[in-house]
Amino acid sequence: MMDQPENYDVVLFNCVSHAIKAEKVLKATGLTFKIIPVPRHISSDCGVCLRFPREQKGAVEAALQGQVEVREIRPLC
Amino acid sequence: MTKEIDARGLSCPQPVVLTKKALETEREVIVFVDNDIAAENVKRLGANMGCTVTVEQQDANTFRLALLKSSDTCALAVEEALSLPAGGPLVVVIGENRMGRGNDELGYILIRSFIHTLLSLDPLPEALIFFNTGVKLTVRGSDVLDDLQELEAKGVKLLVCGTCASFFDISRDIAAGGVSNMYDIVETMKNAGKIIAP
Repeated sequence: MMDQPENYDVVLFNCVSHAIKAEKVLKATGLTFKIIPVPRHISSDCGVCLRFPREQKGAVEAALQGQVEVREIRPLC
Repeated sequence: MTKEIDARGLSCPQPVVLTKKALETEREVIVFVDNDIAAENVKRLGANMGCTVTVEQQDANTFRLALLKSSDTCALAVEEALSLPAGGPLVVVIGENRMGRGNDELGYILIRSFIHTLLSLDPLPEALIFFNTGVKLTVRGSDVLDDLQELEAKGVKLLVCGTCASFFDISRDIAAGGVSNMYDIVETMKNAGKIIAP
């Protein structure tokens, strides 16, 4: 099931403006992603993160490379 | 009643989620997990839910946990009472496609985050009411459509202000909830025990 949390990774940012920038960059690529609040068990200064299906990890990394400052990409759960 | 759950091979947080669900209806739950972290998490859940928990390691990859709801259900009853809004259901009113004033870009991030988080409320709100630019969140292609449809599938009523949809000429694009009117909106607000307006 795609909707299971273990099928997703999240991109964490140091601040919300980086998340906004990343969203713009990814929108242009047509990749599937969603802005969600950073889950409670993950600590981050920025309250939102970007969730995407794990199989897109390479594409997401490539799209953000050199465009947006990323703090970490990690499993959602 | 006793329920057995074999959560071996499942990854975080499935063992905890399944156990929590089972404890909502069963008095005793037996859970099998295959690692000590999962065992610890399930044990903590049980303790938090007022259960007596016994853990037994049966072999290298099998932990058996027995969770028995305490007969002193006072703690649980209190928790339940606190989670039910006094005097009526919870209603969420969304009058903008932003959360807060000041910066629209930030406000748009926040409202999406807010709606996604509603899904984790227990109990869920009885209804979400959308009016003014809030109705734009319910149309085809909306970034929160998946969350709204999930809320709707779980029984949350979504009332979309018809006057507003018509004003923005999006009546035909509404993809979550139903077009509603001021009578229903006022009635739903009036009957709410608590109203949240982000």
